[in-house]
Amino acid sequence: MNLLEVTDLKAGYGQAEVLHGISLHVEQGEVVVILGANGAGKTTTLRAIAGLIGRRGTVSIGGTLLRPGVPAEAVAAGLSLVPQGRGTFTKLTVQENLLVGATKRRDKAAVAQDIDRWYEVFPALSARTKQAAGTLSGGEQQMLAVARSLMSRPSLLLCDEPSLGLAPLVVRSVFDVLREINAEDGTAMLIVEQNAELALDLASRVYLLEVGEVVTSGSAQDLRHSDTVRRSYLGY
Amino acid sequence: MQFFLDRLFDGISNGAIYAALALALVMVYRATATINFAQGEMALFTTYLAWGLTTRHVPVFVALLIAAAAGFVLGAVSERTLVRPIEKRSLLATLIVLLGLFSVLNASDGLIWGKGNQSMPSLFPNTLQSYVSVFGARLYWANVGVWLLVAAVVAMMFGLFNGTRLGLQMRATANNRESAALAGIPVGRILMLGWGISAAIGAVAGVLFTPLTPDSLGLGEMFPLLIYASAAALLGGLDSPGGAVIAGLLLGVAEVMLSAYVPAIGGQLQEAIAFVAIVAVLLLRPQGLFGTKEVERV
Amino acid sequence: MTTPLVVRERSAAHRGLQVAGLVLLAGLAVWASTFNSFRLGQLTVALLYATAIAGLNLATGYTGQLSIGHSAFFGLGAYTTGILVASHNWNPLVTLIPAAVLCFAVGVLVALPSLRIRGINLALVTLALGVAFPELVDRFPGVTGGQIGLNINVYQLLPPPWTGISIANRFQYYYWLSAGLLAIVLVLSATLVRSRAGLAMKATRDRETAAAAMGVNLAWTKMMVFGLSGAITGVAGSIFAIYLGSLSADASFTLTLSIVFITGLVIGGVATTLGPVIGGLAVFFVPYWTENIRQGEASQLIFGVILIVLMFAMPEGLMGLISRLSRRVLRIEPQPPGPPGRQGGAAVPAAASGEPPADAARPADAARPADGEQSTDGEQSTADGAPSPVINHHEERNTA
Repeated sequence: MNLLEVTDLKAGYGQAEVLHGISLHVEQGEVVVILGANGAGKTTTLRAIAGLIGRRGTVSIGGTLLRPGVPAEAVAAGLSLVPQGRGTFTKLTVQENLLVGATKRRDKAAVAQDIDRWYEVFPALSARTKQAAGTLSGGEQQMLAVARSLMSRPSLLLCDEPSLGLAPLVVRSVFDVLREINAEDGTAMLIVEQNAELALDLASRVYLLEVGEVVTSGSAQDLRHSDTVRRSYLGY
Repeated sequence: MQFFLDRLFDGISNGAIYAALALALVMVYRATATINFAQGEMALFTTYLAWGLTTRHVPVFVALLIAAAAGFVLGAVSERTLVRPIEKRSLLATLIVLLGLFSVLNASDGLIWGKGNQSMPSLFPNTLQSYVSVFGARLYWANVGVWLLVAAVVAMMFGLFNGTRLGLQMRATANNRESAALAGIPVGRILMLGWGISAAIGAVAGVLFTPLTPDSLGLGEMFPLLIYASAAALLGGLDSPGGAVIAGLLLGVAEVMLSAYVPAIGGQLQEAIAFVAIVAVLLLRPQGLFGTKEVERV
Repeated sequence: MTTPLVVRERSAAHRGLQVAGLVLLAGLAVWASTFNSFRLGQLTVALLYATAIAGLNLATGYTGQLSIGHSAFFGLGAYTTGILVASHNWNPLVTLIPAAVLCFAVGVLVALPSLRIRGINLALVTLALGVAFPELVDRFPGVTGGQIGLNINVYQLLPPPWTGISIANRFQYYYWLSAGLLAIVLVLSATLVRSRAGLAMKATRDRETAAAAMGVNLAWTKMMVFGLSGAITGVAGSIFAIYLGSLSADASFTLTLSIVFITGLVIGGVATTLGPVIGGLAVFFVPYWTENIRQGEASQLIFGVILIVLMFAMPEGLMGLISRLSRRVLRIEPQPPGPPGRQGGAAVPAAASGEPPADAARPADAARPADGEQSTDGEQSTADGAPSPVINHHEERNTA
């Protein structure tokens, strides 16, 4: 059974339908990437899965069918979304941001341990635990957002454009961390990215979205060597 | 000296009330980015309720608790049924709906309890002899009671916000509603809770404030309070609860001192002064004394 | 369902319809002037309220700045006229000028704080204004008559000889004053709204930061609009004083009146030209008709409920509803785009070429996005789905 099963997903904003029937799946421990141009509907897909917007079609995690538009259910089922733009709690401290991530957990000791772990993985954060998160740099906020989302110990992490607005070196370290987490914890990931090269490097499978539909899918290896993808997204 | 202290004590009492109401306003603002215009009228409604109960021989303290509970329900229901559905339209629509609520509550007060002025019994011993002498000035027990009760409420709020998981959830929801939802926080319930608590605080403020002046429970009682509380909230910085409290106290003392030492400013000019204060603050420092500057992304 | 009749903007048929509308309105106005004095008096006040609401509409409807203090402008205009006529023997009609100027100045002042932040703060300042005004009046009894009120000798308020109206028919004079003022104000605001300034106003209402980024001078827009808005409401107040002859702040110019104005605005239809007229009539006559259900408070309760219900169910107000329904019967469409360059070179605010579409007032978001606005005669200019003037321009140039 797949960890995440999405069938015939339709969603939009107001009267404009953006997704016209998307189907995809993510297996346990997999890293899957969604590529596509601006406006293809990548962000909408993630938001619909996470329950932030209403949708038609089915979404299930670990076999549990999710109700549309109820984010809390998705979280309870083991999903966590790192939103586009980070979604940092700017007025809370770094420490508090992490605590909020763990808000649904009852195991205090383990939560404290997790926080310590993330401070180790992201030393920049440990230097700023009492600082208001809004004062952090873009890269630091991205790290914080990833850590915050992982505080709930999800089985599936959704990432919406983690590289957006970040310097290349920083982006690299973000992807390194994601790779590390996937390897160590076995957390599955569904990543939406514009930066195709880095994403294809990390992923095992890829979906290509165009105007609200899946036009191609396959293993990352294959797509890397495919002329179509290369030309459209990698430019050569 | 005695004159000064007398005035000071009065000022602190008024200030404490403004602080409490300002705190209520700030709580709602942080959670929903709206000023609850109807806050004053919610407080008035619940104060009338408390008064009505005392005329049926319910002890004042019990009436206070019932009023606070009623306020809580009023606030929570208002959020769920009026504010939440209309918020997505626009700020203007929300403000207008709240204005409508303002009217409905005020009119209901008149229809249910009559238009005349009433006297609200005090929580604390309130006779002319219940005071203690401080440097020749009279420190009435009623005043002390108000200070202590408001201080307790404010302390509880701070404890809630900064020391509890629930408080963290509330602050998170106020800061970024979507991220809060993504973390699994029950945003709807938190919002209702915020408005409920806010209205309960308003209820307490109303019941404390009204007995300070005899015959003051009337339909227009809360207008000036709302103005002062709003001025305090703005002065302190709309997103700073601590600022709201400090500003409320400052305003309360300043108001009394001004009218005492500058007789040209009669009692009725006070609102105009609050008005000028609001304008001045917004001109010089729009984020208030303790607030943070807003940055908006297009 | 029948297909609507389509009329091109500025075509002969369109002009014909506009003229017919104006004739109809003029006819109604003349017919009303034959009513008895009591009715005329009522109508006069209702029309003055309509004017005041039209003023409020500029600030709140078109520019999105909620004002809960317009009762103060109304009162300020009234008292300015009252004091100048009663204590200084001015000619009543001349006092309209200082009233307008004073109210304009106050409006600009009030708008100052909103320069740095938005909506709520201005609303609070206006609330304070609305509450403070009656108190200020009471505080200076020497000038204003305080709580006792201000009385103007009737003989100073009589129709001047050149109008040819006798003392017995003086209510006709007051009626024509208010009707005339309303007509002027409506034409003025309709013109303003269609101009560059009007675009700036609406941009400010809809998306301030974006507006500023596009070059709209927010500060200037807000201050000027608020000043104008206050001045219009103030002049309505002046005529109110002339009609009534006796002023009392606690009775007439309290916060309640501000809420009445807003209610009227919402009932009639925010950001519509004729909405304020419907609103003014509604808020005057509804309480009059419900007077028998418990004095006073019932109407306040009803207005509160109306405000809430309307915001949910009919945010576009009666005018919006009417225009939506009548659009099924008659549509006025803009001229088709001509050859490139014909509509001038300037980019954004070339509003003269047509009604800015998709212009639902913010509270009317729930209505279909293409709801247009009303022209002076209550006919509909719609641009269902038509692209904005900016896009129009680019497309035109590209078709070269």
